[in-house]
This record gives sequence, C-alpha cells and structure tokens, in this order.
Amino acid sequence: MSCTHENKPDVIEVPITINRRWPEEGYTRIPAWVYTDPAIYKKEMDVFFAGDTWNYVGLECEVPEVGSYKRQWIGDRPVIMVRNEEGDINVIENRCAHKGAQICWQNTGKVKDFTCPYHQWNYDLDGNLQGIPFRRGALGKGGMPKDFDVKKFGINRLRTVNRGGSIWATFSDTAPDFETYCGEEVLAEIDHMLPGKKLRLLGYSRQLIPSNWKMYLENLKDPYHATLLHSFYITFGLWRADSKSECIPTGGGAHSVMVSHNEGKKKTEATAEMERFRDDLQILDAETVTPRAEFNRGRVGGAWVFPAAQFGIQANSLKTRHVIPRGPDSHELVFTYYGYEDDDEDMTRLRLKHANLLGPAGFVSMDDSEMLKQVQTGISGYPESVSVVEMGGRDTEPADYMVSEVLIRAFYQYYREAMEL
Amino acid sequence: MTDTLSWIAVGTPAEISPDTGTLRVVVEGEAVCLYKLEDGSIHATQDRCSHGNASLAEGYIEDGLIECPLHQGCFDIRTGEAVTAPCKAPIKVYPIKIENDTIYVSGEPA
Repeated sequence: MSCTHENKPDVIEVPITINRRWPEEGYTRIPAWVYTDPAIYKKEMDVFFAGDTWNYVGLECEVPEVGSYKRQWIGDRPVIMVRNEEGDINVIENRCAHKGAQICWQNTGKVKDFTCPYHQWNYDLDGNLQGIPFRRGALGKGGMPKDFDVKKFGINRLRTVNRGGSIWATFSDTAPDFETYCGEEVLAEIDHMLPGKKLRLLGYSRQLIPSNWKMYLENLKDPYHATLLHSFYITFGLWRADSKSECIPTGGGAHSVMVSHNEGKKKTEATAEMERFRDDLQILDAETVTPRAEFNRGRVGGAWVFPAAQFGIQANSLKTRHVIPRGPDSHELVFTYYGYEDDDEDMTRLRLKHANLLGPAGFVSMDDSEMLKQVQTGISGYPESVSVVEMGGRDTEPADYMVSEVLIRAFYQYYREAMEL
Repeated sequence: MTDTLSWIAVGTPAEISPDTGTLRVVVEGEAVCLYKLEDGSIHATQDRCSHGNASLAEGYIEDGLIECPLHQGCFDIRTGEAVTAPCKAPIKVYPIKIENDTIYVSGEPA
C-alpha cells in the first residue's frame, strides 16, 4: 500500500547521469550520498526547483506598494518579487539579459525600475528592457546594430499564483495549476492559515544551516524527534508523544500535512518514560508557551509544500518557512512571521512573543539546526552509510499517531522515482 | 515687451556640434543643453535626464525629440515633455535669445 498518487508533481527529463544504486530495501533506507553528491544536487535543482513545481516566493504584504520588491531564490535561481505599475505582483529572474549579473542586490526595497549596475541596462517592473546605454553609440560612433530590438531582451517573467496573499511561482509552462499541484489536503492547510484576510508582515529570521536542504525537509516530516530532541516541548507541556496527531503524505509523498494538538501539561505513562521530562521545572513566564484561543483551537498544523516551503502555526505565531539550498552541504532557512490586518495589539504581541520558539535562537528551533549539522558531519564521514527509517512500519500509509517516519518514507518513494534512482 | 529675464551669454550657434546638434554649457551652476534643430532653430533644456544620470548632450536628436543616450527615453526639445519610457518626469526648458551671433540663456526656466 502507498499514499495517494494524485497531484504528484511531474518530472521533466534532465540529461544528468548518476551512477548510484539505491539500497535494496527501498525507501526505508536513505543512502548518505543523497546529502553529499554534487551531481545529485545539480539534478535536484533542475528536476525539482526548475521543473514542474510551484515554489513559494513570499507574501503579498511584503511588497505593499508599486515598486516594492523582495529578492528571493527558487533553488539556485535568484528571482525578484515586485509589484508593478498596475498593482499586480510579478516574479522575474534576477539576472540581466545582457551579461547575466544580478540586477537586484538588496533583500527588500522600493524602486521605480531596475538598472543593472554593470552596464546600466534598464528594465521596467514587468522585466521589459527599456533602454541600454549608448545604443546609438557615442558622438556618432559605435552603438548597437540598427536591428537590435530591445523587446527581445527582456527578463523572463515566471508564471505566478496568489493564494490568500501567498505568492507562488514556477519556471515551467507545463506545471499543472497551483490547486491541482497542491492537492486538497495541503490547500486546506494553506487556506486555514490564509483565510483571505489581509496579512500584516511582522518580521523575519534567517540562518545558514550547514546541512543538505533535504535534511530540513525531513526534519519537518519527522514528528518522531519532536518530543525527544526538543526538551522544551515536553518540559513545558507543549507537545507530548501521546498527543493527538496525524501524519498525512500527499502528492505521491512530495507534500505532507502534519497535525498535533497542544493539550497542556499532563503527566502520563508515555511522557514519564522520557528522561528529559522534568516535573520540577516551571517556566516563569507561562505566556511564552500559552496560546490565546484562536481559530486553530490549540491545533498545531503544518503543510510542507514541496519542494521547499512550510506553512505552520506555533501557539499564536503564524509563519512560513522557506528553504534555500546553498550547495550539497548547506541551506538557508528563512522564517517569515505574519499576522492578520484585523489582529488587535495584544494578538500581535503574542504572535511576536511566540516567535521566540522559532528561528536560529528559538527555544525549540535551535535544536534542529544544531542537530542537522551533526547529521551532515556524521554522514559525510561515512559516504557509503545508509540511514534507517522504519519507525511506524515500512509502508507509506497515513498515520493517526505521532511516533512515525511515514512522511520521510513517502518522500523518498517520490524522490527515487523523480530522480530515477 | 519688457525684458525682465536675466540673460547669460553661453556661446555661438557655430559651437553647437554639427554632428550631434547639441552643446553642453553651464548656466549658474546648472548643466544646460543647447540644441540646433534641422529647421535651424535653437533651444535649451536641462542637460541631465530626469530618469538616469546621463547628459542629454550625448543623446540623439530626431524629429524635435532628444533621445537620452542611457536608456533611449525621449523628450520634446521645445516643451521638455517626457515622450517615451522610461522617462516620465519632464525636463526644464530655458528661454533663449540670439543677439550679435551670441546665444543667451535665461537662468530662469520658462
């Protein structure tokens, strides 16, 4: 049995040959070379990020005015999200049509148009080339050939979609529409968090994690580690091994939905076994971990939207996570924190306060980045080693409990087929 | 008509380049571009493009328009109006007069 294969992201053909053999056991094993081999990495960039996938770019509220922009990456590829003269949001390549330089060097800002610093080729907010210096030469000499047509040298504009204020883009003309790509379950999670209300940007945290990008993806598909690694969770009763949970692989294993419930601190048999559960520790400021009742009613839900984005709620903190691969052994992780325009002042304060659990120094998240570095070091030293993912069984069936690695198995089932491994 | 403008001598019509039809001069610290059009008429505008940091004197004249050398935005030389993208804001136009083969520009834009 396996998870649903509807809405599975299609795969484009890429002429990269990889002479590797996946372990016989199949998707219950992960060979170390998927995290280290540069050829694997290159193929992932082409097959996934530049392929038939929809990629998270940002939130509409990040570019509020005409000319507001945000620099972003889709895999290796630098892009710019910018609001044009008509008020629509474009995603264009961050690459001059002349020599290929990035035309935008800042993370955010506001411009009238874009000018490449190298030779000052100038583009409007739709990426159209407006003019080039010395097109007619200088003092009657030189210049571009008479038939040079600026219309043919614009910057490529990606297909984009706005779902509830979140902006997605694809390089592909053949990718299905966004709704089909996500599938019902993932879409429901996005719509749950972005119900059509205007969003308000609260801030960012960014960090460079010295591990392969898939380790972060796996980490968010791995509820097994949550109560074991994150002592903060169990010590202060945020999440327990016996919490009501669900793990639902979708899109053939590419995407996933994970749900748990913040039921408060309660000592039970399951948590008593955990050596890190400390009854004698009390958090001084309980508000740090106590959500104010909201639409999610203690439900800690999250959707991983393949390849590199996650939408989730942590207490009252609403955030997107975005993974930017930086070579086989490194990735950048960006949290974008947001709220709703109709939030009262106290709710905004809580959303920010609960963001303390997340990010590079987050009470919970800091364990992950440290751990992933340790994994990268471990597997890099033993390139022929394999990891084992059999918790919860050897299948890819949705699970209604937490101690499971089903989402990782389902992901590698998809991955092997897509990567032809 | 009473001449209330202050006039500054900036050169002779012969100094305007026959190749480009333009001459860059400085009037009270401001760069000004003089133009000689096909009909022989002479005009003056601010020299700096309203879009990029470029000298219009290095541009290209066609049909009464000056095309900026940097990004090919065009201005109407007679009115200063921005005619094509990426230029949107107009440029200043200066009154001129010619007396005894000398071009005078008023420091006050028209």
